[in-house]
Amino acid sequence: MISQKRLLRAEPSFRFLAKLWRISWLYVLLICVLAGVGYGALYSADGGSAKPFAGPQSLRFGFGLVLMLGVAMLSPRVLVRLAWPLYGLSLLLLAAVLHMGHVGKGAERWLIIGGMQVQPSEFAKIALALVLAAWFHRAGHKRMGNPLFLIPPAILVLLPVGLVLKEPNLGTAVIIGAVGASIFLAAGMRLWQIAILIAPVPFLAKFAYGHLHDYQKARITTFLHPESDPLGAGYNIIQSKIALGSGGMWGQGYLHGTQGQLNFLPEKQTDFIFTMIAEEWGLVGGLTVMGLLLLIIMGGMLMSMRCRHQFGRLLGLGISMNFFLYCVVNLSMVMGAIPVGGVPLPLISYGGSAMLTVMFGFGLLLSVYVHRDASFGENEGNA
Amino acid sequence: MQGARPERPDPLTDHETVVSVTGRDLVQRAVMERMRVRLLVAAAGFGCLFGAVSFKLALATVLMPMAPAKRQIAPLVPQIPKISTDPHGLLADDVGLPVHRAAITDRNGQILAISLPMAAVFANPMELIDPADAADKLKKVLPKLDVAETIQRLSSKKQFVYIARDVTPEQELAINDLGIPGIYFEPGEKRHYPLGRTAAQILGAVDVDDHGVGGVERYFDKRLSSDKTPLRLSLDVRVQGVVREELEAARLHFKAIGACAIVMDVRTGEIISMVSLPDYDANLYNKASDDERFNRAVTGMYEPGSTFKLQTAAMVLEDGIAHVWDKFSTVPIHVGRFTISDMKSDHFAPWLAMPEALALSSNPAAAHMALDAGAKRQQDWLRNMGFFDRVPVELPEAARPLLPRLSNWGLSAVMTVAFGHGVAVPPLAIVRGTAATANGGILIKPTLLARPEQQTASDQADPSLAAGSASETKPLLQPVSDTKGLDGATPNNPDTDQDGGDAASSDNVVPQGKQVLSEKTSALLRRILRMVVAGPDEERTGKQAEIPGYFVGGKTGTAEKVGPNGTYLKHVNITAFTGILPLNAPRYAVYVMLDSPQAIPETHGWYTSGWNAVPTWRKIVARIAPMLGLFPVTTGADQIEASLTIPMSPPVPAGYRALGPGNDPGDPVKLAQQAKEQAARDKAAAKEAREAARATANPHTRSVDPHPVGGAVRQSVSYVRPSN
Repeated sequence: MISQKRLLRAEPSFRFLAKLWRISWLYVLLICVLAGVGYGALYSADGGSAKPFAGPQSLRFGFGLVLMLGVAMLSPRVLVRLAWPLYGLSLLLLAAVLHMGHVGKGAERWLIIGGMQVQPSEFAKIALALVLAAWFHRAGHKRMGNPLFLIPPAILVLLPVGLVLKEPNLGTAVIIGAVGASIFLAAGMRLWQIAILIAPVPFLAKFAYGHLHDYQKARITTFLHPESDPLGAGYNIIQSKIALGSGGMWGQGYLHGTQGQLNFLPEKQTDFIFTMIAEEWGLVGGLTVMGLLLLIIMGGMLMSMRCRHQFGRLLGLGISMNFFLYCVVNLSMVMGAIPVGGVPLPLISYGGSAMLTVMFGFGLLLSVYVHRDASFGENEGNA
Repeated sequence: MQGARPERPDPLTDHETVVSVTGRDLVQRAVMERMRVRLLVAAAGFGCLFGAVSFKLALATVLMPMAPAKRQIAPLVPQIPKISTDPHGLLADDVGLPVHRAAITDRNGQILAISLPMAAVFANPMELIDPADAADKLKKVLPKLDVAETIQRLSSKKQFVYIARDVTPEQELAINDLGIPGIYFEPGEKRHYPLGRTAAQILGAVDVDDHGVGGVERYFDKRLSSDKTPLRLSLDVRVQGVVREELEAARLHFKAIGACAIVMDVRTGEIISMVSLPDYDANLYNKASDDERFNRAVTGMYEPGSTFKLQTAAMVLEDGIAHVWDKFSTVPIHVGRFTISDMKSDHFAPWLAMPEALALSSNPAAAHMALDAGAKRQQDWLRNMGFFDRVPVELPEAARPLLPRLSNWGLSAVMTVAFGHGVAVPPLAIVRGTAATANGGILIKPTLLARPEQQTASDQADPSLAAGSASETKPLLQPVSDTKGLDGATPNNPDTDQDGGDAASSDNVVPQGKQVLSEKTSALLRRILRMVVAGPDEERTGKQAEIPGYFVGGKTGTAEKVGPNGTYLKHVNITAFTGILPLNAPRYAVYVMLDSPQAIPETHGWYTSGWNAVPTWRKIVARIAPMLGLFPVTTGADQIEASLTIPMSPPVPAGYRALGPGNDPGDPVKLAQQAKEQAARDKAAAKEAREAARATANPHTRSVDPHPVGGAVRQSVSYVRPSN
């Protein structure tokens, strides 16, 4: 028996102000703090000025904040209905980028829509989490035992992965695949099913390596031996490691990081922003930022777990997983633990697409939290 | 919501309902529990990964920090090169410029190539404050700067843009003084060739990274970039300049498409001058056409034509197959559909002794000489003379002569090679061969490097060329044996040549190299070469080469070029003259070649060597000889002349039976047999000749057999000697 009082306490209210109150404002504060750290880092990357990175980025964050709160107000029923159109749109954009994308650094990743650069692969991750959550929610627990029910979602994952690989953007493709896999896992897949799915991965990897572009192979090679090519592909990693080393325990001081300020550090406003922070603030500063990131991830996981419906749990998990992968891949990359892959550090790195999609994701997460107790059972939300 | 599943009361909306837990709920909760566990495991995994990354961060920042490279912590101040203030230092050993690549000089220290310190100016637009202002300021120092384009570049969102290259140290200093932040310098060098076209193909060029891409620059690339002392070449720019001037004048005069000349010291192999036309300004290597870059002297493959008869004569004399008094038939020989004949064969006597055969340049006579020697001996001779190998000279462009395949070296090849057809040889190889026949029989190695300075103070006694040869009073032709007679002038008499001034600062030089023919044969050949120029025969081919007092000699050569479809081009010739000066004490081999000279009124419609290459040779030699320290000999000239003379038909010494009419070894039988087999061999031989021609076809200049079918054939006499 469940006490009636507890149920009563959980009574959902759909009045706007009540909903607004149910938002985890602590979480929003965490996000704002991290964005503040990002502003500070970009200010330093500009060499002590708000232009050209920090100012525009803070504007985007403001816009993102509004977007996030707006999305947080949407009920799961609306989100489920939005899932399929959004997924279809993301696939369309991914296909469009292959045909008329803007080539940046050897790969077509950008699409220019109305003067704005959009990176559809960022958007695809969120759309995938939404659509998978909707699928497994509708499928219900019982049908999870039927392997045939796993085939359509598998295709849903493989489509964007394939398109992104074609761009080619190996890092993002791996992240999209991992987000999908995590949702599969959390949806209640049996372990033997997982084993079957994982078994062919090494062979696929070997096959994929043959189809990698030279620059991608170079990344893997220089990752193994960065010092072998100090002026070429290994340059980024070496300069990043030097910057980290010169940071030491307490850092060289804000705006005084030599590697970053003297431009030895490549891409210091995007991929290597964390290196810049660690050089100026040292190990302590780096760990602080990482702590903030971990708090946000764990908060997301907790909020997902608190949700009473499958859709919310899976969606929340997918979003948290996405954010987590962003962080881990970027951090490992700048420390030379994995090959350099063009993955930004969310909320901190300069970049519009990533900022907006991350904020959209947080909006979904908050929506899940706001509607955590909403009655939204299996077989519902049939679009 | 409620309406959707009425069978199950919704606890969230119906306050009055008693909550009941169904089995279905329990299953759902079990699944949820499993999920929760998985989520917790995942969260723990996230934490672990973050922990690992934190550890990695600690490693990189505190535990095992990586130190920056030294050049990164060095001050980022442009280095202004220091310039030597000593103008005399320019000709000293160390040119005194802060550059990495050594200079190249001629034998007298005149600079041919030098690296100048030049900087490239680049900017980091991210650090610039005002691109327009920066561009305006830069324009004041760099007048050629395109301001609009520079502003555009400086406004781009890049971290590195080039502004200008090849900025002089003064300009670099001035730009540095402007104090524009974000402007940097990249130190570099620019290779400069002060003499422009002079010796352009020999020098070659360097690429943007200062690596040699042609000529001496490439051959000595390592030496030039490791040792800073200037590289001293054997060239003499004064001679080079004159040779180029005269050759270019001749090229224009005779409307030739190309030309080439070489002056080489026959004792040391030092190349004093090497000119290939058309040429180009060495500073504008990138704008030069392939034809201009092409060094005809070492890469060009030309049929040597009659200049090769010198080798044939040397071969038969040295191997004892024939003697100077032996006579050879000039009757045209039919080989398949080809006929070996002479342009003026109707004037020639049917039998010519060796000196006359060379002076008149008879093709059938040369063919007979080679036939007497045979294919094997001919091949051995050419191999010994280095014609099978790449010309050994310090140029990467040096090419390997083209000869018939050994398997295809049949009778027709023997005959055509004898007068320089069916083979293609770079001019330098011809010069080397000519030098060996005249310098006492030593095959020297041509070199572009100046010999190290030697003690020359000792004997500069006699400025005249006569001294050595004056003592040469032995009778020329003693009818005893050819070992005693005909040993001509002593080639390497130390007293014969005076100090060669600047150009050749050493004498007493004994040629170093393989003895390929005896000194005796060499002496005979010198007389024969002299006869080509100064003999009694009015029809001699080299008569326009004569310069009184220099005792010059040489051999002409005319070869028809092969057209694009493999047939001979009538009236398109390669004409050449390879000569020695002075013959009484050989010092220099001089070679002149004109590619496709045309008949002009002055030459009375002739376009053969004697009418264009030979007069050009004379003009060049007349001007460069004094520069080389050689002066006309007036005293004792008759004596010297006598020592260099040989009768056109030398008397046969007693006890010898000369080759000639009635004495052709194995002739009657062989010829009868040959006549029978003639028809049968026609096809094969014709094919052979064609293949020989094709084997020598060179992509640049393809020239084969000069007197094939048609025009030149005056007589259609088969290979039958007049019975006498």
